[in-house]
Amino acid sequence: MGSVIKQINAVIVMSLNSLPQRLWMSLATLLAVAIVVAVLLAFLAMGNGFKKTLESTGAEDIVIMMREGASAELNSVLMRDQANLIEEAPGVLNDEQGAIVSGETYVIVDGKKRSSGTDANIPLRGVSSRAVDIRDNFSIVSGRMFEPGKNEIVVGSSILSEFAGFELGSEVKLGNAKWKVVGIFDTGGSVFSSELWTDIRVVQSQFNRGSSVQIVRAKLESPEAIEQVKAYIAADARLNLDVQSEKTYYGEQAKNVGGVINYIGWPLSIAMALGALAGALNTMYTSVAQRSVEIATLRAIGFGSLSSFLGTLFESVVLSILGGVLGTFAAFLFFDGMTTSTLGSSFTQIVFSFEISSDALIDGVSLALIIGLVGGFFPALRAARLPVILAFSSQG
Amino acid sequence: MSDLYLVFKNLTRNKLRLILSCFAIFIAFLLFGVLGSVQKVFDSGEEASSDTRLMVVNKINFTQPLPIAYVNKIKAIEGVASVTYANWFGGYYKEQKNMVPTFAVDQDTYFEVYNNFVVDPAQLQEWQNTRTGLMVGRVTANQWGWKVGDKISLSSNIFSQKTGGQTWEFNIVGIFDGENPQVDTSGALLHYKYFIETQTFGSDWVGWIPLNTTEAALNDSVASAIDEQFANSPAETKTSTEAQFAKAFIEQLGNIGFILTSVVSAAFFTILMIVANTMALAVSERTNEIAVLKTLGFSAKRIFGQVLSESLLLSIIGGLFGLGLAALLVTGAAQAPQLKSFLPTLMFPTEIWLKGFAYMLLLGFVTGFFPAYNAMKLKTIDALNRS
Repeated sequence: MGSVIKQINAVIVMSLNSLPQRLWMSLATLLAVAIVVAVLLAFLAMGNGFKKTLESTGAEDIVIMMREGASAELNSVLMRDQANLIEEAPGVLNDEQGAIVSGETYVIVDGKKRSSGTDANIPLRGVSSRAVDIRDNFSIVSGRMFEPGKNEIVVGSSILSEFAGFELGSEVKLGNAKWKVVGIFDTGGSVFSSELWTDIRVVQSQFNRGSSVQIVRAKLESPEAIEQVKAYIAADARLNLDVQSEKTYYGEQAKNVGGVINYIGWPLSIAMALGALAGALNTMYTSVAQRSVEIATLRAIGFGSLSSFLGTLFESVVLSILGGVLGTFAAFLFFDGMTTSTLGSSFTQIVFSFEISSDALIDGVSLALIIGLVGGFFPALRAARLPVILAFSSQG
Repeated sequence: MSDLYLVFKNLTRNKLRLILSCFAIFIAFLLFGVLGSVQKVFDSGEEASSDTRLMVVNKINFTQPLPIAYVNKIKAIEGVASVTYANWFGGYYKEQKNMVPTFAVDQDTYFEVYNNFVVDPAQLQEWQNTRTGLMVGRVTANQWGWKVGDKISLSSNIFSQKTGGQTWEFNIVGIFDGENPQVDTSGALLHYKYFIETQTFGSDWVGWIPLNTTEAALNDSVASAIDEQFANSPAETKTSTEAQFAKAFIEQLGNIGFILTSVVSAAFFTILMIVANTMALAVSERTNEIAVLKTLGFSAKRIFGQVLSESLLLSIIGGLFGLGLAALLVTGAAQAPQLKSFLPTLMFPTEIWLKGFAYMLLLGFVTGFFPAYNAMKLKTIDALNRS
């Protein structure tokens, strides 16, 4: 066994010594693999980042209620008396102020996207103090909270990076009214960080909403208590509402868009990987051709065909793995943490960051390894089968 | 002729290498063809829009409504040829996931403004006189297998009937086409009046107001006249050309153009490196033969031409196969109903063939130039000495 290892070593050393002859070709292959891996990681990071933002949004113990069949906050409308009925539902958690229920309005306003300079949909959420009680991860990171009854807004931290004109202290004109940005808030990387918040009554009066809301959120005594709420709503003819946990609602959205990005990313990367594979095969066949006399000579002095095979395969795998590592490195350098935004299912912009997951790293390196193995296998087979007679001919 | 024969012989001397290089080029052009067609769909809203069409929307955001009274006020503005209005209905067919882009519109003026739709005059007349009539775009009709004369019901995820429920009954009275394949014919049009009379809230408001100006040169002045007229009113307006509106909407999805271009560029760069190296290797292996050809009296220019022709031929063979398969895939995919709703104007444009061919020439030239130049400059005596 030791002698086989020695033999393989000898072939590897020989490959490496002849590498300078094929330096540009080998570099091209390495770079091709790197590009393929970087493209794959970019798509996976985009899908993963979007999913993460949505998945970190929903809570198990918060139930959301919208008008039947509305499917998104924008399309829903609930009258005040309906919202009041919900406060009496069984299974809803109470504190000293009563039931923890938050009725919220949802209006879309324009913001300028920094990347394109075009207008984009941003949600303006009208809330009462209950909205903060119901969300565990809400915090004001600079400035202060808006005062009820005034034209003041607080801006989600993700809005600042992607949209122009919402800096602390600036004035924003929405409709006929000017609003002052008095604070920046954060909700732990969730969708709410892509929103503007203000006092619900101000929104209702400025946007002719009467006393209606778009959505009602309620905190549950436990995640299981959702069944009680569902039963209570179903039994009351005045309440034609869809009831679901917040976690489910955002989880659905994560599946949809995250899935689309993956369905696009993989086929593109695989097609590009096939192109890179053609390059790898080309390089390795050249490598075998350039070393054919040497390989045949080794065979003539008693080296086994397995060592020629494995030695050649090793060269290809090393090139691809190096490419894979380079591509991963480049993806981390260029994409990881980059923020962007897209239209979510509520018809508003959701800001998210590219995030490379550990699964994606394994996928990327696996893809590189497959290119290396397939790209080396057939040329290695040729190396293993080279006729010994070549060693004694004058030309390779 | 003998030159071509030599080129061909050189190209096919190493069959495996030829196949691998061709395959790499094939992949690059396949990606270029498919992604180029997709990009075209996203641009088509902008390209298919008429030069004289403006969109008036609420300044706060286009999802905010405008008073219906604005329609007549806009009609009176100098330079406005025709005006209509429309409302988003949030329509779906049977199930929430079967989205149908449904608009409640003014039946008398809608096709007057959207004159890039082609509709049979008898069907148009019929639709205008039928309160529950639905005019359906060709793409949507094919998607659900609807025909003129069918009775269908559409539901709304926004509006409710006075009587309860969210479902409206319709008679399909017409199907409209686009004047060219770039025009998006997905969607269903219902009477605004039918929708307003039956639903519980939102009367006297419209979603947006499309209009045509008398000539494109007046667009800016008409747009500012409209916005000035409603400045400081409860509902201020923002007027832009249809192309700007379409572009802003696509930008909302994200920088799709940038992503597609980056992927295609990355693929091309990869292939360029691989093919350029292969060409260089192929030519350097032939140093001897080139020296012999020169000795036989082949001019340096002719040698240069031969090597360059070889790389051009390689690039064109791989490229044509790649574009060919892309055309088949795109044309096939365009028939799939799920994709039709998402990319309604998907097709394989002639423009991609032309651009693709230009890129083939460029790729062939770039990958062949240096090896060809080296072959041309080859000193015969050195080359023959070297062996």
